[in-house]
Amino acid sequence: MADNTQDFAAEARRFLDAHVAKAPDPAAFTWGEGDDSTAYFSSLPPEEDREHVQRAREWQRIRHENGFGWITGPPEYGGRGLTPVHDLVYDAVEAEYDVPDTGVLSVVGLGMIGPTILAHAQPHLKDRWLPAMYRGDAIACQLFSEPGAGSDLASVATRAVREGDEWVLDGQKVWTSVAQHSQIGIALTRTNTDAPKHRGITAFLVPMDAPGVEVRPLRQMTGGADFNEVFLTGVRIPDDHRLGEVDGGWTVALTTLMNERATVGSEGAGPVGAALSPDRLSALMRATWTWDDRALRARLAELLVDAMATGHLNARAGRTLRAGVAPGPERSVSKLMYAQNLTRAAHFVSDVLGPRLIADTGRWGTYAWTELLLATPALRILGGTEEIMKNILAERVLGLPKEPVSTAAKEVRP
Amino acid sequence: MTADERELRELRSAVREFLEAKSPEEAVRKLMESEPRFDTAVWAQAADQLRLPGLAIPEEYGGDGFGLVELGVVLEETGRALLCAPLFSTVVLAAQALLASGDREACARHLPGIAAGRTTAALAVAEDSGSWDPALISARAQPDGDGGWRIGGGKCFVIDGTTADLLLVVARTVAGPSLFAVDRQAPGLAAEPMETLDATRAMARLTLDGVPAVLVGTEGAAGRVMARVLDIASVGLAAEQAGGARRCLEASAEYARTRYQFGRPIGSFQAVKHKCADMLVQVELAEASAREAARLAAEDSPEFPVAAAVAHACCSRAYVFAAAENIQVHGGIGFTWEHPAHLYFRRAKSSQLLFGGPAVYHERLLDRLGI
Ligand SMILES: Cc1cc2nc3c(=O)[nH]c(=O)nc-3n(C[C@H](O)[C@H](O)[C@H](O)COP(=O)(O)OP(=O)(O)OC[C@H]3O[C@@H](n4cnc5c(N)ncnc54)[C@H](O)[C@@H]3O)c2cc1C
Repeated sequence: MADNTQDFAAEARRFLDAHVAKAPDPAAFTWGEGDDSTAYFSSLPPEEDREHVQRAREWQRIRHENGFGWITGPPEYGGRGLTPVHDLVYDAVEAEYDVPDTGVLSVVGLGMIGPTILAHAQPHLKDRWLPAMYRGDAIACQLFSEPGAGSDLASVATRAVREGDEWVLDGQKVWTSVAQHSQIGIALTRTNTDAPKHRGITAFLVPMDAPGVEVRPLRQMTGGADFNEVFLTGVRIPDDHRLGEVDGGWTVALTTLMNERATVGSEGAGPVGAALSPDRLSALMRATWTWDDRALRARLAELLVDAMATGHLNARAGRTLRAGVAPGPERSVSKLMYAQNLTRAAHFVSDVLGPRLIADTGRWGTYAWTELLLATPALRILGGTEEIMKNILAERVLGLPKEPVSTAAKEVRP
Repeated sequence: MTADERELRELRSAVREFLEAKSPEEAVRKLMESEPRFDTAVWAQAADQLRLPGLAIPEEYGGDGFGLVELGVVLEETGRALLCAPLFSTVVLAAQALLASGDREACARHLPGIAAGRTTAALAVAEDSGSWDPALISARAQPDGDGGWRIGGGKCFVIDGTTADLLLVVARTVAGPSLFAVDRQAPGLAAEPMETLDATRAMARLTLDGVPAVLVGTEGAAGRVMARVLDIASVGLAAEQAGGARRCLEASAEYARTRYQFGRPIGSFQAVKHKCADMLVQVELAEASAREAARLAAEDSPEFPVAAAVAHACCSRAYVFAAAENIQVHGGIGFTWEHPAHLYFRRAKSSQLLFGGPAVYHERLLDRLGI
């Protein structure tokens, strides 16, 4: 295995050397130089946003053509058939290079929806969509949340009614990331109102160009519109687009949710790099003459302790994986800490910058931090809120009793 | 030498089994109120049966040649069991100081006895202020004219200082802070026990009145030696802390599953459930940071000093948090002398402050990062 991954890493390096430049050395960071963006969400105007998506698709295609598009995927769908360890190895190598951001494809589609299709879809859907997704041709979204079903996802109310070989979907989804760019989505629908709520859900693969699917951008508090409302009005879906059993959609949802936590918690690039870089933060303190403020220094140290300890935790999860043991529900710690580390970083920076965060003086690396600050509330919500993560940890790792369902709540539900 | 995962698991279960038999709560409670505060018979068994004192001492000095990863497993377990024994003072502090000094003659003289469990040792650095910074000490050593030295001054917070056979003392010479070996029987040496917040870790005040001493390593080199020792010792301490914190979490979860109020297990109340989840988060981070730091030490990685500082800060905070929340989850019972929660709280607080506390370790981390 060791030799195998070494060869693989060397191959990855050859590929990357041939196609992209090395990332600038983080140790050589200079205040005032380069990009000072700390954005997690895109706030680009639609035109530029589409170009950004195009660059992501293009890079994914190149990756795929060279055998790095879907390292763990089965060869019959264009995957490489290697292990999750090879995936980690590739990620580590790619991190050294300056590659286009492919988050629009990978966070939801390749990270969560791909594995769900692979596990639950009929062969013809796998043939149709998996190669397309991993080649960068198709983007996928997660049509789970509804106005009345967020944390309590099993309360979805979008209806699916069977008509012969088809199902007719009616309802509203919300906060659907990347739906505006997507070709497919996985929807959770209610197919049985008599069964307990977890047992009356069915999952479908929905082509986003089907008649009756309407995507309306939802503007976020960051200003841009990364997520959307999706209205489903009389949308006809063939029965062979069903994932899993009728009324068995909760199992399908769990596959997606498990992958969601893993994907979100282990994200390493983007604003994380800037917000938790000791060099960047200390340069900021120097530039603002807060360098020797003892209280701020102590907070900086605490911030870095958490960030680095989270890094150690993720590294160990990778090593556990290498030893052949799949990570369990304790991985929710990483999702929780990912959001908290960035949130604390944003508030630390705001105390360093003071008024410079209120209005843009034009100075490099100051007002730009508002982007991170405004993204942090979402990080604590998306992929499961902090409270939900803590419930998971307490119930599934520590074995504490589940929340009792109150009879009053049962009576109130329509 | 490094053990693989299976060997580490075996080591852990052997040590845990031993401690369950030899260091149950009643034993800890009895020892923490007696003098010496450890059971010499149990210490001898730990040496003979488990070879604990020699685990991380190089083979050339009579040890088994393992490193911080294996020692970390042992320390997680002793921290969990609050073992009263001179393990930390002898093996983590004193033996590591001897090794870091690079003085092969001193190592050959003292380490085989330590490895065999026949010699216990202590490291005396801090004085009244409790600082472990060698630059801030005032004890002085002067040549005695015969190639030896004599030390004058006082030391505090010396772990196991009243019982150690060998004392390694940092004292100032014209060349700067230097490390010396002092024999327990040396004339002019007095040691009295200090009253301690954490009674399971004995500490002493030493008075040195022209005590004969032997220089260890080079004169003026104690600053460098201590930097290395503190890195290793803080990772050893971090392992102890992670083990203690894990024990507090387990106690809380167990109690939350079984204690009923309002007709429900208290663990089904979200306020309690989330307290336990918060403890779990801290414990997971603590274990990861302590074990990664130990791994980097074994690999002789240049990242070790930063990882050591992270482990020290992370585990200190996690243990204090877990020990304090453990009392809350237990309610009134948790505040009684009879319940073990306070033993962990005392150990956690005292470990957090042992090498100077948050202000010191925060600056240490920033310093390591070049900030
Ligand atoms: C940026 C962003 C992108 C998103 N992308 C997608 C997407 O692509 N697809 C998709 O399907 N969804 C998406 N979501 C939705 C996200 O999954 C939900 O917002 C999230 O699960 C929380 O649900 P909610 O917003 O309804 O909040 P609610 O569930 O109403 O929660 C409100 C508050 O109540 C608390 N709460 C709820 N239940 C409990 C409980 N049992 N115990 C304790 N506290 C509780 C929550 O923690 C929270 O603090 C996205 C959200 C954001 C912010």
